[in-house]
Amino acid sequence: MSWGGTRSAVRTLTAIVGVTALTALSSCSADPDTGDNEGGPQDDSARADATVYVPQDAETINDAVDLVEPGGLIVIGPGTYEESVLIDVEDVTVRGEDRNEVVIDGGGVRPFGISAIADGVSVENLTVTDHTFYGVLVTGLHDENGPAAHGGDGYSTFDPEDFPPVQRFRFDHITAYNNGLYGLYAFNAQQGTITESYASGHADSGIYVGQCQECWIDVSHNVAENNAVGFENANASELAGVRENRFTHNRVGMTFLSNYREAFHPQQANTVHGNLVGENAEPHSPAQAEGAFGVGIGIGAGTLNRFVNNRIENNPSSGVTLSSEEDLAPVGNRIAGNAFSTNGVDIANIAGARAPAADNCNTDAPSTEPDTDDDATLLPEDLFSSCSGTQPAIDPAELPQVEVPSGVSFRQIDPPPAQPTMQDEPAARELGEIAVTDDVAEVPGSDYLAERSRHGVP
Amino acid sequence: MTTGDSETGPQQQRPQEKRPAPGVSRRGFLLGSGAGVGVGAAASAVLWRPWVTGDPTAESPGRASGSAEAGRPVDSRGRHQAGVDRPQTPQANALFVIADVPKTSSTEVFEMLANLGEGIDSLTDPKGHLTEVLPDDPGDLVITVGIGPQLVSLIDPDLPGAEPLPEFGSDTELEISGGDVLLALYATDVTVLHSAAMHLLDLVPDASVRWVQAGHRGPGEGTVARNPFGYHDGVVVPRTDEELAENVWIQGGPAAGGTVCVLRRMSLDVSAFRALGPGAQDAVFGRHRDDGRPMSGGSPTDEVDLTARTETGDLTIPLRAHARAAHPSFTGSPLMLRRSYGFAEPDTLEEGMVFVCFQNDLEAFVRTQHRMDETDDLMNFVTTTASASFLILPGRTGDQPLGSSLRS
Ligand code: HEM
Repeated sequence: MSWGGTRSAVRTLTAIVGVTALTALSSCSADPDTGDNEGGPQDDSARADATVYVPQDAETINDAVDLVEPGGLIVIGPGTYEESVLIDVEDVTVRGEDRNEVVIDGGGVRPFGISAIADGVSVENLTVTDHTFYGVLVTGLHDENGPAAHGGDGYSTFDPEDFPPVQRFRFDHITAYNNGLYGLYAFNAQQGTITESYASGHADSGIYVGQCQECWIDVSHNVAENNAVGFENANASELAGVRENRFTHNRVGMTFLSNYREAFHPQQANTVHGNLVGENAEPHSPAQAEGAFGVGIGIGAGTLNRFVNNRIENNPSSGVTLSSEEDLAPVGNRIAGNAFSTNGVDIANIAGARAPAADNCNTDAPSTEPDTDDDATLLPEDLFSSCSGTQPAIDPAELPQVEVPSGVSFRQIDPPPAQPTMQDEPAARELGEIAVTDDVAEVPGSDYLAERSRHGVP
Repeated sequence: MTTGDSETGPQQQRPQEKRPAPGVSRRGFLLGSGAGVGVGAAASAVLWRPWVTGDPTAESPGRASGSAEAGRPVDSRGRHQAGVDRPQTPQANALFVIADVPKTSSTEVFEMLANLGEGIDSLTDPKGHLTEVLPDDPGDLVITVGIGPQLVSLIDPDLPGAEPLPEFGSDTELEISGGDVLLALYATDVTVLHSAAMHLLDLVPDASVRWVQAGHRGPGEGTVARNPFGYHDGVVVPRTDEELAENVWIQGGPAAGGTVCVLRRMSLDVSAFRALGPGAQDAVFGRHRDDGRPMSGGSPTDEVDLTARTETGDLTIPLRAHARAAHPSFTGSPLMLRRSYGFAEPDTLEEGMVFVCFQNDLEAFVRTQHRMDETDDLMNFVTTTASASFLILPGRTGDQPLGSSLRS
């Protein structure tokens, strides 16, 4: 019963080849309830239209995935769904009819809401909550039990060669709250978008992108708050952009991490622009595992990233922290044109002697001149006296000290305000490659996306 | 415009040549936590549990089996020297003798090793051992020979073990470091160790002893025994032939079949540790004292789940627990084989541990010790007083002299 729902539990990869039309039709005609035509046509030609309505055509979302054809559309009606959904059919769009009324609820016992392991999957306009592990995941990494069915033990890991990254995905207008570790979760995936979504109450991070090279994932126009970390990047390189998001009121706003525990270190080459990263000292949030609190952007051995035109304010420990991870160093990060204000310190370097920071720079404009951003406060003060070579550091104990409140259970974080629902949506999505431009967003105001935040205008 | 072939996307402005070392890892994927938070553990099935799936005491061909076999002869011949993975349950007593020898050429080193090999045969051959040294049969006496970085370099500076240990943050109280020859002697019968060691030293007339340390292990099955803090030690180690091949044995080149040994004499502040009280003691290791089960749950032989958290987001294996600090995943290291021995000096009442580990790459130890010096609460109770590393020579088959595979 722990998987809940009235029908199938988590679907397994035995169904990965998809369901033949014959199976679909026979299972359909065997079910008298499907005569109800409210949500969509039920005849054979409609099947060719490839739209499956829940609950009219299929009682559960997993049943709908069994029925849907590659390239098809699943439309979910308002209701609470107690199931972990595995999407293993290519190019499927899974759409809630109403973002706030279509809720996949893990009841505090199921591990995840939705897992997409096929190319070209879109998930949009719905809410996922109260799962022990994550809300929505896309990954190319899975075994016959699906993606979440193992404890990554850290001794043996999956060989990337055996698990090519899943291609093309779209997470759009999703509300994820109070899931154990992650809200929106993508790893070993390329060419995707995470947009217009909302994440709160996660003990790891609201939005997580990890373990990919040339990821070309666009993370934009999202709100993440009341998480341990708003947005986390671990070993994910060449994102299409992390831009125009609101990452406020977490314990840590954003992190860019390299580590040995996962594939593809070091992390490198993200462009992070036009984000509001503020007030990241929120007590009403789960604890950050390492006890971090009051930090805007943590660059933990992240490399060659550009942080441009962000508003970074009111983070009582530091606006930006450079640190090392074992012998991996923060190298070649360019911090340019950001609006810093009222942080404990704007930029600090606490990298250890085994992996000193090097070649990082802070400038008013993308230039190679050292420290022309006169307004930014630095620790140590001569941090950017040169933009090349090894750079001086302080001991972490010299950072502005903030008291770290104890963590709040992820299940006890207040639910978010209603979020904007999508209007007049077309048929199934056809996902292409991600467009990347040179354009850099303007510095946002302090009230950026405040209308979608529980914290409103500061 | 799309990416990938774009020359003008923002990512292209990064200086390509500055991609920092180390290069991009092909290390495998890790999902993160399979268990999730709070109640999720039951939902996770485990794909690979390489070190602990097997019964640690299960027999593997060609090795002396568990402690029931204590005292039985251990084959000194084989692809690997005895005393690393055989006998499967380490003998109760050990004597570590580290000596310096003024050798100036590889020929002299090979001559010494050949003599030592013959000496070992004369002491451990159950059918014809030297009764003037050991009046009765040698029992499970095992002697393992290693050579220090200077001698390894004389033979070939590119060999594993030629690189000395770096200085660690925890080395401030070090009294002794390095050494040219390691004679590690193990036996159930403690009385054979000293005479055997003296006999071997007689075979190397120019040797001067640098340090000697005796050690003892409590009862246990396989590699697991309680250490001087009272905790099960030697739980998570490579055991199967595949695990040993991947993590312990040098795979190619003239030293194939050998391994790199690190020996650290660590003085332990047992009374300060005891003063912590039970819960805080467990937090230092990340395991429970009574049966060794991880604080993240499971049985005594289960691995720690480093990602497991409480509902409030706190790690169940604490941030500064030894099991987290020493875990190979953080440093991208192979898993070392640990076979440590405790000691208690009767004159000074000093308690401690001779930490003994084997790995095919010295860096596995080096990176782990660096990390422990930075993040391990256990180090608050540890003072390292002596430290050395050795190339444990490949084993001998037939009439090969010890060390002969290194001649090239
Ligand atoms: C006197 C000092 C030490 C004591 C008392 C000690 C004790 C322990 C204990 C009780 C465990 C957990 C049980 C087990 O897996 O065996 C453990 C695990 C371990 N220790 Fe130590 N240890 C010491 C020093 C070291 C040193 C110096 C290293 C290496 C630099 C090291 C490396 C390890 C490793 C790799 C593990 C296994 C971690 C895992 O994968 O779970 N230990 N140690």
